[in-house]
Amino acid sequence: MLFNSIDFLIFLPIVFSLYWLLYKNLKIQNILLLISSYLFYGWWDYRFLALIAASTVVDYFVGLQIFKSNNKSTKKKWFLLSILFNLGLLGFFKYYNFFIESWVNSIATLGFSIENTWTLNIILPVGISFYTFQTLSYSIDIYKDKLTPTNNFIGFAAFVSFFPQLVAGPIERASNLLPQILKNRAFSYKILSSGIKLIIWGFFLKLVVADRAAIYVNAVYNNVESHDGLSFIAATVLFSFQIYGDFAGYSLIAIGVAKMFGLNLMTNFKRPYFAASISEFWSRWHISLSTWFKDYVYIPLGGNRVKKPRWMFNLFVTFLISGLWHGANWTFVIWGALNGLYLIIEAIIFKNKRTGLIHIIITFVLINLAWIFFRANTLDNAYYIINKIFTSPGHLYIGSGDDITASIYATIAIIMLLLVEAKKEFFDSLFSISKNKFEFVRLLGYAILIFIILYLGVFGESQFIYFQF
Amino acid sequence: MGKSELKITGIKILKFVIILLVVDFCLGSISNQIFINQKTGKFHRSTYSIYEAKEDILIFGSSHAHRHYVPDVIEKELSKTCYNAGAEGQQLLYHTALQKMILKRTQPKLLVLNIDENFLYKSSKAYDRLSDLHPYYEDFKHELRPILGLNSNLIDFKLFFKSYQTNSTLIHALRYYLSPQIDYKGYRPLDDKMTPKKAAIHEKNHSEKEFIEEIDDYFVKALKDFISEAKRNNVKLLFVTSPNLIERNISNNESLNRIKEIADSEEIPFLDFLNAPKYTNQFELFHDPSHLNDDGSRLFTTEIAHFISVNIKI
Repeated sequence: MLFNSIDFLIFLPIVFSLYWLLYKNLKIQNILLLISSYLFYGWWDYRFLALIAASTVVDYFVGLQIFKSNNKSTKKKWFLLSILFNLGLLGFFKYYNFFIESWVNSIATLGFSIENTWTLNIILPVGISFYTFQTLSYSIDIYKDKLTPTNNFIGFAAFVSFFPQLVAGPIERASNLLPQILKNRAFSYKILSSGIKLIIWGFFLKLVVADRAAIYVNAVYNNVESHDGLSFIAATVLFSFQIYGDFAGYSLIAIGVAKMFGLNLMTNFKRPYFAASISEFWSRWHISLSTWFKDYVYIPLGGNRVKKPRWMFNLFVTFLISGLWHGANWTFVIWGALNGLYLIIEAIIFKNKRTGLIHIIITFVLINLAWIFFRANTLDNAYYIINKIFTSPGHLYIGSGDDITASIYATIAIIMLLLVEAKKEFFDSLFSISKNKFEFVRLLGYAILIFIILYLGVFGESQFIYFQF
Repeated sequence: MGKSELKITGIKILKFVIILLVVDFCLGSISNQIFINQKTGKFHRSTYSIYEAKEDILIFGSSHAHRHYVPDVIEKELSKTCYNAGAEGQQLLYHTALQKMILKRTQPKLLVLNIDENFLYKSSKAYDRLSDLHPYYEDFKHELRPILGLNSNLIDFKLFFKSYQTNSTLIHALRYYLSPQIDYKGYRPLDDKMTPKKAAIHEKNHSEKEFIEEIDDYFVKALKDFISEAKRNNVKLLFVTSPNLIERNISNNESLNRIKEIADSEEIPFLDFLNAPKYTNQFELFHDPSHLNDDGSRLFTTEIAHFISVNIKI
């Protein structure tokens, strides 16, 4: 079920009402959460519910076994079972064909002819990268004695499948979300109101910023041979806001919906395009994934408490894996590698923290250069686009028909977004609509924001980009 | 959960809903007025067709209709009034809806539907572009609900909001307010002339198809509805396909063959100009490989008018 669908508009109030009607009985409330989450996910493809159920069962029992075992090697065996199971699921559904095809291609480049009969017709289950990482962190934390497993199977299953963040994050840690699920929640107007505010802003980001920008971006990136450098620059800048609006929008809606249910999810984006360095960007962008990789890949590799070459290696490998996590395509691998490279260069050149507009702009340009690989349909397209940007500016494609107005609306929406975020970033104590002391101003502000969404938004029930990851 | 908390929540929600409805009504009404009062542009043409057109002959179809039929030529040849209600990028669902809205108010003598050979093939854009009809929903719920409902669930709920009815039409209105788009009774001439070189470049740059070569049953139903609605209102019909610059093999085009079958079974005259030798490779008559320029359109319209004068009594 998509957040931006009529189905969800019906689903949410029903589940919300039932949920708070059952507030006196935590167990039934959690059963309702679980059923709702499975319904939410099964709306796409009920067959893949079995994967979530299997992942839940395996990690629930593995967690308990790791905790119970006194013997270190037994602990390790259970732990490896969880790792193998979760990464096995991910590997098979997401990467099997990619690795087979890459292997066959590399053999072919060596001059050998090989018939590829091993690839399979595999459908990628929505959100598999998100929930496998969530359950993996549960087992890892227990193995590292950072977490005590729960005996409450329903609660654990509700944690794994919690519908607002199930398919595109934020990737929650059990240490944050699970205790909240196992504890009684209390309804208040405040949680409902703050949840709805986040949802409204999330929809603005998705429907107005991202989906409007997508029209121009798709027109250019899906037909690269017809465009020149200037159009690629415009499309890439618009893409940077498309992906931000899409993903941060989803995260805000997820956080807002969770809030309505009395549950707090972690912040996933903190105005990333105001970052003055690449490392700062990564502390503001997809924070739940960045911290996941930091805690479970980068630090176990040694982090920065090693010799400098090893530190650089750790950074690079972490971002390489992060790139691969985003998609089974070399474009994502190069995108990850490029970000790793940026961080290495940054670590070598700069010793102090950077601030100021120039650094913000430089960071934005570098991030945009990397986005080209992220968005391009193939590596060849990405190289073609970069080549055109530097060698053939040509003329700026302004779209045809409705494409023109879409670009103008996207630009208006991006300016609105930047104004709001700049105000928050630099002048937070100034006039605020959401925190205004006059109730009428607050309500009017959000009513006008809904008007803007209804008036400028794209209502084609488009997918969120991160669902594919 | 205390009763007072529930009461506070209820009151606050009520306040918010009232403010939202007032904002939507006020700003939505302003937007609607801007939309309806456009003097030029595609929305002006559709608004005119729906609310005002009283011409004897109306032209329906996509850009091929909009750019190929010169009402002045028809009026001169047939001594009947004519308006070109063609709309760029629009397909059968739109035209069927437009026809229903027009026939609710007036009965022209003849409707000419310019057929694109791929009209019956599946096309998500054909559904997406139905949003052009949203501003008229309040006045034509009965006519539009079945068609808009194909693209969207709970259309009544969505279009309850005035702001959604005129979603993203403001720039369009401002654009044509600042720079009016001149048309001649709905017809907008194209001026360029093709050359073999231009045709080759065009072929290379415009290869993206907007359809999948599978018949969409809803489009078939829309075509049948278009015919039955016209018959019910005693309005005569003529189906026409426009000429192409380059001759194409269309014998296996399932969409076109099906349209011809339907026209044949319903006894609708069908004029097929797709590979008409008079136009094939006549570069000076075309603006691009599938659109006639003004010279070509005048020639083409004259032929249509002659056919009507000889074959259709209006």
